[in-house]
Amino acid sequence: MLAIQDLHKTFGNVVALDGCTFGVERGRMLGFLGPNGAGKTTAMRSIFGLIHHEKGSVTWDDNEITINERRRFGYMPEERGLYPKMKAHDQLTYLGRLRGMSASDASKSADNWLERFDLADRRTDPVEALSHGNQQRVQLAAALIHDPELLVLDEPFSGLDPIAAETMGDILREQAAKGTAVVFSSHQLDVVEDLCEDVAIINRGSIVVEGTVKQLKDAAPIRHIELDIDGDPEPLLASLDGIRHTTVNGSMHTVIIDADTDMRGFLARAQNAGRLRHFTYTTPSLSDLFREAVQ
Amino acid sequence: MTATSIIWQVARREITERGRSKAYLITTVVTLLLVLGLVIVPSLLGGGTEEYTIGSIGEGNQPIVESAELLRNAGDEPEDEESVAISIVEFGNLEDAETALADGEVDAVLVDGSEVVVESVGGFGDSAVVSLLQRGAASVELEVIVSESGQAATDVIDVMTSDPLETTTLSGQEAGDESAGVLAYAGLMLLYIAILLYGTWILTGVTEEKSNRVVEVLLSSVKPWQLLAGKIAGIGILGIAQFTGTILVAIVALQLTGAFELPNIGVSSVVTLVVWFVLGFLLYAVMFGAAGSLVSRMEDAQNVAFPMSLTAVAGFFVSIAALNDPDGAAAVIGTFIPLTAPFVVPVRAALDAIPLWQYLLSIVMVLATIAGMTLVAGRIYAGALLRYGGRTKLREAWRSAAE
Repeated sequence: MLAIQDLHKTFGNVVALDGCTFGVERGRMLGFLGPNGAGKTTAMRSIFGLIHHEKGSVTWDDNEITINERRRFGYMPEERGLYPKMKAHDQLTYLGRLRGMSASDASKSADNWLERFDLADRRTDPVEALSHGNQQRVQLAAALIHDPELLVLDEPFSGLDPIAAETMGDILREQAAKGTAVVFSSHQLDVVEDLCEDVAIINRGSIVVEGTVKQLKDAAPIRHIELDIDGDPEPLLASLDGIRHTTVNGSMHTVIIDADTDMRGFLARAQNAGRLRHFTYTTPSLSDLFREAVQ
Repeated sequence: MTATSIIWQVARREITERGRSKAYLITTVVTLLLVLGLVIVPSLLGGGTEEYTIGSIGEGNQPIVESAELLRNAGDEPEDEESVAISIVEFGNLEDAETALADGEVDAVLVDGSEVVVESVGGFGDSAVVSLLQRGAASVELEVIVSESGQAATDVIDVMTSDPLETTTLSGQEAGDESAGVLAYAGLMLLYIAILLYGTWILTGVTEEKSNRVVEVLLSSVKPWQLLAGKIAGIGILGIAQFTGTILVAIVALQLTGAFELPNIGVSSVVTLVVWFVLGFLLYAVMFGAAGSLVSRMEDAQNVAFPMSLTAVAGFFVSIAALNDPDGAAAVIGTFIPLTAPFVVPVRAALDAIPLWQYLLSIVMVLATIAGMTLVAGRIYAGALLRYGGRTKLREAWRSAAE
C-alpha cells in the first residue's frame, strides 16, 4: 500500500504540506479532496519525487519509494503534457519503454489502449492533431500503459464531458477491481461519492477527514434535511436546535443540522404547518462533509 | 532497468523524432549544398579565363598588353586554360574611346603607352585591370633598361615570374602548402556553427519539454540527469552524423574538382575535428541544457542562453587571432580556457602550431570542465524543471534541487 506519513513542505513562506498523512491500499480507490491550494498537487507530486519534502515519508509496501517503484506507478499530472508532434502510438510506446517495458509489450499495450478509447485509426496522428478530449484519453493511456500497481491522477475529471467522465469512472473502477491502488483528486464531489469507497480531505496542508464514505457519513456529527412545505417554514425551523447551515432554493430548504438534535415530533409539526411536499432526513452528502471539514 | 538503457531510450527518441523532422532533413540538405557550393563554385570560377578588352590610342600600347598577358599566364599549367586573355581595339580619337569605355565595350583605354583611362577607381574590376596593365608597363620599361645594358629583353618576364627564394618552415610544412590555413579556417567555421547549432537544439528541446509540460510525466519515471544525458546523447549523435557527413562530402568534392591540392586532409585532421566537435558540443550542451530548464517559454530560451552564445563568439574571435598568430599569447590563453579551447585548439593543430603537452592538457581541462559542468548543470536542471512562471533564478534552481 501507499503510505504518506507526516509530510511537511514549504515553498518560501507558504506552507504547502503540514503533517499530511494518508494511505491507499491495493484494490481500493481513494478520492483526494480539498479546496484550491490545500496541498493536493504537492502531496501527489511528492509520491513521484517531484518535490523534496522537508520532513516525513512516502512509502510503498513499507519501502522508501525509489525510481524503480515509480516505474510501476502511473501518473497523470494536473498540467497535462505530451509531445505535440509525436505520434500517439509512438508516444505511448516511448512512455511504456521508459517504465521498462519491452518494445513489443509497449507497442501492444499502446494499441490496446488506443483501441479501448476508439483511437485505433488515429494511432499515427501527432497528438496535436487530436481534439482536446482525445488528447486527454491519450494522457490517461500514458498513465496506464504499463499496467501500474499504483495510479495517481490529479484532477482526472476536469474538462471532461459527461460521457468521457463516465468512461474515466469505468476505467478507474476497473483498475481498482483488478488490484491497482487508485488515488485521484477532484472537485466534483458527486463523482467521488459515486466512485470511491475511501476519501481523504486535505485542508491547509493536513488531512482533516479520512475514512470510508459510509463510515464518515454515519459518524458525522451532522445530518442533512430537505424540506419543502406550503406556507412559511421559518417558525418550524426555528423550533429546531443545532442548525448549522441553511440554503434556500425556491421553496426547497436544505438544512445541515447537528446529528444529536431530537427530531421526534418534527414531522407532525411540519404537517400541521402546511401541506408537506418533500421531506428527507439523511446522513450528510460528501459535499456537506467537505464544507464542514474545510470551513 | 539500468540508467544506460533509460538514457538510450531518451536518446533514441531524439534521434528518431528529430532525424525524421523536416527541420533536420532541411538543415542537412542545405548544409551539404552550401559546402558543395563553397567547394565547387570557386573552382568553376577559378577555372575560367579572365577576358579584357583594352581600347588603344596611339603607339606603344601593344607591348604593354603582351607583357601583361605573359606575366599573368606564366604560372599556368600547360593543360589548363590560360588565366587571362586581353584583346585590343584601336580607336582614332580619345572621345570615341571614352564613349566605348562608358558603354562598357572596353574595360580600359591605353593612350600612347603612357596613360590608362578607366571608368572609376575603387571598383574591383577596374583596379584589377589597372594593376594588370601597370605590371605590363613596368616590365616593358624594365625590358628597355635591360636591353640598354646589353642583356636579352626576354629574360625579364622569366625573372619576374620566378620565385628565387627557397621557402622552408619551422613546422616542416611543404613550401607553397597554404592548404593548412584554409583547412584550419574551414574547420573552425564548421565547429563554430555546429556547436552553436546543436547546442541550440538542446536549449530549445529542454525548454520545449518544459513548456508543453510533458516533463512532469517524464520525471515521474526518469531522473533529471538521465533525461538531460539522453537528450545530449541523441542530439549529439545526430550532430556527429551531420557534421562528419558534411566534412566527408567536402573532402570528396575537393578531391573530385581538384580545387586545392590538400595533402593535409588525412584521417588525422578529420579525427581532430570530430574529437573537438564532441568535446565542444558536450561542454556547451550541458550549459545550454541547464539554461533551457530555467525558462518555460520558447521566447525566453534565446535570452537565457545569451551568455553562452557570447562566450562561443569570443572563442571564435580568439581563434581568428590564432589563425594569424598560432603561437601568440591570445592563442595560448585561448587553449587553456575550456570554453574557448574547442575553437582555438583545432586551429592551432591544423597549423601544426601547438605543442603536444598543450594539446593534451587542454583536452584534460575541457574534460574536467565537462564533468564539473555536468554536476552543476544537472542540479540546476533538476531544480528548475518543475518551476513554472517567469524565469527561474539560478540560485533558486540550485537550492530547490538541494531541498
